[in-house]
Amino acid sequence: MSEAAAARRPKVFGLARRLPEHLTIWVPLLLAAGHIVSFSLWTLWVSFTPSTLLPEFGWVGLHNYTAVLATRNWRIAFDNLLLFGSAFVVLSLLTGLGLAILLDQRIRGENVLRSIFLYPMAVSFVVTGTVWSWLLNPGVGVQKFVNDFGWMSFRFDWLINRDMAIWTIVMAAVWQSAGFGMALFLAGLRSVDTDLIKAAQIDGAGPVRLYRRVILPTLWPITVTVVVIQLQFAITTFDLVRALTGGGPGIATLLPALVVYDFMFQRGLLGRGAAAAVLMLLTLLAVLLPYAAWRHVQARKTARA
Amino acid sequence: MTNLRRRTVLAGTAGLLAVPHQSRAQAVKPRLTVISQWTSGSDGAAITALGKKFEEKGGIWQHSPVPGFTTEMMNKLRAQIMAGDPPACSQLKGPEIAAWSKIAATTDLDAIVAAAGYEKVVAPDLARLHKPGGHWISLPLQIYSTNMLFLSKRAMDKAKADQIPVTWADFNALAAKMKAAGVTYPIANGGTRPDDGQKFEASLAGISPAAYRAAIMNLDETALKGPEVKAAFVQVRKIADWMDPNTAAQHFSTNLKRFVAGDMGMMIQGGWAQGVLLNAGYKLDDFIIAPGPTDNGKPVFLLNADAFIFWQRKEADLQAGQALMAQLVMDPAIQTMYSQITGSIPVRTDVDLSGAGWSDGQRRTAAALKEAVASNQAVLSLAHNMAQQNGVTAAMIDVITEYVKDRTITPDDAASRLNEAVEGSH
Repeated sequence: MSEAAAARRPKVFGLARRLPEHLTIWVPLLLAAGHIVSFSLWTLWVSFTPSTLLPEFGWVGLHNYTAVLATRNWRIAFDNLLLFGSAFVVLSLLTGLGLAILLDQRIRGENVLRSIFLYPMAVSFVVTGTVWSWLLNPGVGVQKFVNDFGWMSFRFDWLINRDMAIWTIVMAAVWQSAGFGMALFLAGLRSVDTDLIKAAQIDGAGPVRLYRRVILPTLWPITVTVVVIQLQFAITTFDLVRALTGGGPGIATLLPALVVYDFMFQRGLLGRGAAAAVLMLLTLLAVLLPYAAWRHVQARKTARA
Repeated sequence: MTNLRRRTVLAGTAGLLAVPHQSRAQAVKPRLTVISQWTSGSDGAAITALGKKFEEKGGIWQHSPVPGFTTEMMNKLRAQIMAGDPPACSQLKGPEIAAWSKIAATTDLDAIVAAAGYEKVVAPDLARLHKPGGHWISLPLQIYSTNMLFLSKRAMDKAKADQIPVTWADFNALAAKMKAAGVTYPIANGGTRPDDGQKFEASLAGISPAAYRAAIMNLDETALKGPEVKAAFVQVRKIADWMDPNTAAQHFSTNLKRFVAGDMGMMIQGGWAQGVLLNAGYKLDDFIIAPGPTDNGKPVFLLNADAFIFWQRKEADLQAGQALMAQLVMDPAIQTMYSQITGSIPVRTDVDLSGAGWSDGQRRTAAALKEAVASNQAVLSLAHNMAQQNGVTAAMIDVITEYVKDRTITPDDAASRLNEAVEGSH
């Protein structure tokens, strides 16, 4: 019996020693997961109830979903999301990569430039939206500036043009988040094995070929990470649009998050707002599930190799 | 037997609780918890002044302002109701009073209102909004008209015009004249949703108050598809063509400088614009205020009223506070004080506005209300959430704001979309 106790002691002792470790990992993780899961389930439940100003009991089946899907607002918001999401992700990816490659040329003042490009990320979306709303306003911003120089026929009125207004949101969002892609890509570029680069150079590869054939292929994992992070940002965009266009002109630049807020808090239709939120969650899952599957496949590949 | 006795005791206690507040007020110091969004500018000043009066009467005033949009104030209210701790009194307006009164118990103010003889000095449509289910549970505080016509003196001089337009035809003629005389944009505007909504409601109510009542307030399908609604959209298109398209989602106050300078000619705004203009340093002789255009020549008054709703509380001091607050809000002297600060007009139709402290604009607005009530042309504003609950309002304003900003939508399309929006929002 004393032997058994002796055997158990180191084990218990080890557990006690690692307690802080477990606490820091598991407590926040469980809290966060509990939060997300419980509120998601709650929203899911509300989306099937006739709730208006407050959550109510009752069951209306898919009524809220059909009602939301039938509104013009949701259709416009979803079309906008497809356009905004793809344009924003592609453009911010390319801008970030371009900036990273340019910064990678061992230029002077790299630190300063890097901070400048990263700086927009430190600004809140509301500020970004407000500043750009003035810059893009034809009556006071860029257009007026150029007109005042004498080029009177110059027109840059995307902000008040229903068809182009969504692109102003793309512009502001790219400006804000290109620095994030840049930072990740730069780290990736710097971690490419210098021997590999030297070997390619000895083989006579020019700079373009060097990037295309040797360096960029190593950046795939980073690219996927950037795309996924930017996509989930795109799907949940709210404050930027609210400050920049307010969903206008008219309702031309609505995005799903604005529709959810509008239903829940401005129209006092909690049930429909919850249904719209669940639809948003489904779009998000459509992005995240393939990503998780891809990660899984990658992990198995490396394990086998 | 015991059962019966218990019931008698219970009834007795209930009776005690229901004893008029006056007799209990001596025992407790009246206290009032209030939520509103009025934090700054003239609104903040006015409610602070009201709080001072409340304290002068021996009460404890506990105001928690929630700055920002009305939505944020409502979120706070919702949270407190869900927690079972509603404020004794909160800001709420229009049909939302009826909607919210279904989710939490309110205080019946019938006795206090009857004692003050208040009902006969309030416009009937307004009274109905504040007594859903037949009982007074809320009290209107101040009134604005959302369809006042502001004319820039300098733009009028430019166009060599001195007639205040009465009908929409007059209005259109004056706008064309201004445009010809070099006024860049004959209509000054903002680009917000209520701003667009106001253009439509002013047009429809001006063309036919009866059609407005049927289509917008009663959501009558024939009226919604009727010729008046289409005519209103035609008029809105004219207005939109005379507006500065560059305003995007800006607030109307951004353009006040150009309006006063005569670069913009007319503005269809609520009475509150007077306060905003004066606050921005402009003088009363920079502009003229008149009732909005009406085709039958008699003023149409689009009512917008701020109000307080009283939530049921068990605490004796809060109940005493509610009684005191109700008396204050109905008091002509208090209404005078409040409206003189904010630029609105009093709810009571029997307040004399001839004295100092009132502007010509306010006098004209009050006269218009009296006349409009008499000719049954006082209707409830859609754009400012008085005609319908928020869900229906938002769906309708979506159509209107899209129409204002998109000239490819025809008036016929807009009218049928408006009808669809109403159907879809139920």
